[in-house]
Amino acid sequence: MATVVDKTQIYEGTRIPERVPTILDLPPELRDSEDVLQVNFGPNHPSTHGVLRLIVDLHGEEVVGASAVIGYLHTGFEKTMESKTYWKCVTYPERIDYVGYQNNELVFVLAVEQLLEMNVPMKATWMRMLLCELNRIHSHLIYLGTSALELGAISMFWYCFRERETILDLFELVTGQRMHTRYFQVGGLAEDIPSGFYPECRKFVEWMPHALDDYRGLLDKNQIWLERTVGVGKLSAADAIALGQTGPNLRASGVDWDLRRDQPYLHYDQVDFRVPVYPNGDVYDRYRVRMDEMLESNRIVRQCLDRLERMEGMPWIADDRKVVLPPREELHTSMESLIHHFKIVTEGFRVPAGEIYVAIESPRGESGCYLVSDGGPKPWRVHFRAPSFVALEATATCLRDTYVADLIAVVGSLDAVMGDTDR
Amino acid sequence: MADDEPKPVTRLRDYGLQSERLLWPTKGPSQFEESLGVDELERALGLTTLEKAVRWAQTKSMWPDTFGLACCAIEMMSIVSSRYDLARFGMEAFRSSPRQADLLIVSGRVAHKMAEPLRQIYDQMLEPKWVIAMGVCASSGGMFNNYTILQGVDRIVPVDIYIPFCPPRPEALMEGIIRLHEAHLAGIPPAYERNGVAT
Amino acid sequence: MTQWSDLPGYVSERASADMATVTIERERIREACEYARDGLGFDMCVDVVATDYLEWGGKGVSGYIGTATGRDLNKPMTEGLQVLPETKPKRFSISYHLLGLRQGAPRVRLQCWAEDGESVPSVVSVWPTCDWHERETFDLMGIVFDGHPNLERLLMPEDWEGHPLRKDYPLGGEPVRFSDAE
Repeated sequence: MATVVDKTQIYEGTRIPERVPTILDLPPELRDSEDVLQVNFGPNHPSTHGVLRLIVDLHGEEVVGASAVIGYLHTGFEKTMESKTYWKCVTYPERIDYVGYQNNELVFVLAVEQLLEMNVPMKATWMRMLLCELNRIHSHLIYLGTSALELGAISMFWYCFRERETILDLFELVTGQRMHTRYFQVGGLAEDIPSGFYPECRKFVEWMPHALDDYRGLLDKNQIWLERTVGVGKLSAADAIALGQTGPNLRASGVDWDLRRDQPYLHYDQVDFRVPVYPNGDVYDRYRVRMDEMLESNRIVRQCLDRLERMEGMPWIADDRKVVLPPREELHTSMESLIHHFKIVTEGFRVPAGEIYVAIESPRGESGCYLVSDGGPKPWRVHFRAPSFVALEATATCLRDTYVADLIAVVGSLDAVMGDTDR
Repeated sequence: MADDEPKPVTRLRDYGLQSERLLWPTKGPSQFEESLGVDELERALGLTTLEKAVRWAQTKSMWPDTFGLACCAIEMMSIVSSRYDLARFGMEAFRSSPRQADLLIVSGRVAHKMAEPLRQIYDQMLEPKWVIAMGVCASSGGMFNNYTILQGVDRIVPVDIYIPFCPPRPEALMEGIIRLHEAHLAGIPPAYERNGVAT
Repeated sequence: MTQWSDLPGYVSERASADMATVTIERERIREACEYARDGLGFDMCVDVVATDYLEWGGKGVSGYIGTATGRDLNKPMTEGLQVLPETKPKRFSISYHLLGLRQGAPRVRLQCWAEDGESVPSVVSVWPTCDWHERETFDLMGIVFDGHPNLERLLMPEDWEGHPLRKDYPLGGEPVRFSDAE
């Protein structure tokens, strides 16, 4: 199942730079040469990745040296969350990976719930699964639209964003917000699922495979696309594991690893889906992995819908009033509810002391939340393991033996969101 | 000069600023109008026909600069998409070079490390230039009140329009852009002439 | 069951809710990581996190601590008394989260403790991915990693002074009226 890599040879034939793994150094013969031009792909650049700065040494058209400078979007999430109660903290993780936002919410909420040892109702977990898979489709659509745009296939951008608008309509139908929905709460969901959601979601789910066929028809066998992406930015399986890659980047390098299948959370062990794995580790394979993943996410959403449609009227949030806000109708009649509401909103619920690391499979890879609690109402330390941070560590390895035009393709295929990288 | 009878208050909407008229017809002069100087409105906003024509042309093709930083950038990308089509305003050509751009839409939170490139890009833009602070993070630091986020991008660049929400819906961003167009058509000078540019 | 005591530098272990936390002596963390990678089969280092425990337990915890099943009368929580969480050996803990890419997804957290000013051997030679993780830890927490090839600031500007994520570093920003942040 998982590729067992021979550990003793992990560095034989590796393409990871020797001195510093994340900086591609100039080869010795070019060090004093005058033909090397250092170009700064500054934080503001035409490609749509956000504020990534690449300092690239060019020898003619070849990339001979590269290093990435990040930190232009460092927001201090971890420090800010240390000063907010858990209930208020839920709005922060979404802004970290602002393309797959509900996955970040999910990982934080799961971490708090596991420290609290709470049981979340089934309806909430199935809905969480559905929304996270829709978010995965959303994230891969943005990846596809923007990387195709950068390589010149501009029409992909329009098509992908058309589907994306439908997904955002679904989010707005359920949660009231297009992006950054804050729908997952500690204990379940913030509100019940509105009644018109299931037919709308079905319509989307029925349409999506046709849209994916359209995209495939545009790009899969397109000679220009193939020439620009096949064989570009290779990352071998051993290098990918050594560099800590997860998610589509790892699966495109031939390692069969998916946290949804191998360490199931929510109800992923009860749904049927395939995990696409491709062997080559180049840009084309990463593209194919993400295309297939969209189809698989569609299947998962369909299965979640089947289950959820039978769950009308079930609770959507846990009943523990010490942690979860009581419903508003009760506030008018019950004194205890009023007190609970007051205590939870002002002081916050307390989480038992301990540390926990929870990981989920976000669209970018393994997204994790390390939470240390001291028993008080505010987290002591929150750390998010950002898959884009780790993906950008692979730029130096992937940019070996590439041309400057491939640089854009490679950085796009690693699918790094700068909010996730810089946190 | 006899100041006995109060002068009739001239409002921006009398100069054609549509949104003021639509929103709140009976409201008194706003802070903005007072900052312009109600007495000097005539002098400040009186436009010749040539100026009106030039301004009309400028608003119909005000090209934004690709300055997407964070989540608001995703919503900015979605106004270029086909549902909220920005091309109807002539603005779908996002120029990557600030030398060719008129409008800087600061979309997203600005870290202190990014403040310097932001200011450099603003300086590289040629006049007339406008800045829209999109989202609460650009307007005022948003939910991030900490050591690393600039509490409002107007600390380093003069801002014309502030758009709240986190992130603004594409319609909200378009409303901001339309108000900017109207303000420019009515004759209001860009922010760097009103407020001055911080050095 | 994995024998964690085979790890070089092993000090103690503790089973947490999700995975075992094994405390390793600070000087031998690199050997422990090599053994974990080669001998115990943890192929990937997922995360390197440092936590600052300055003033840990300074404010005692009392009252109800929420759980899903409500108050358990056999485990009466704090009974209204101040309860302090367990004391930590040193100021900083550095946790290495490891993952084995095989059936069952085994995970472990190797933890070592350091005081302010003590340096920790770098594990970049064991897993190259720790390059940026250790740089980030240095940048935000100020923990120096011996043997790291390029220990520079990563997220903050190069000329920034101070290490923001430490507990004695202020949150910053500007004061907001009527908020509980002041």
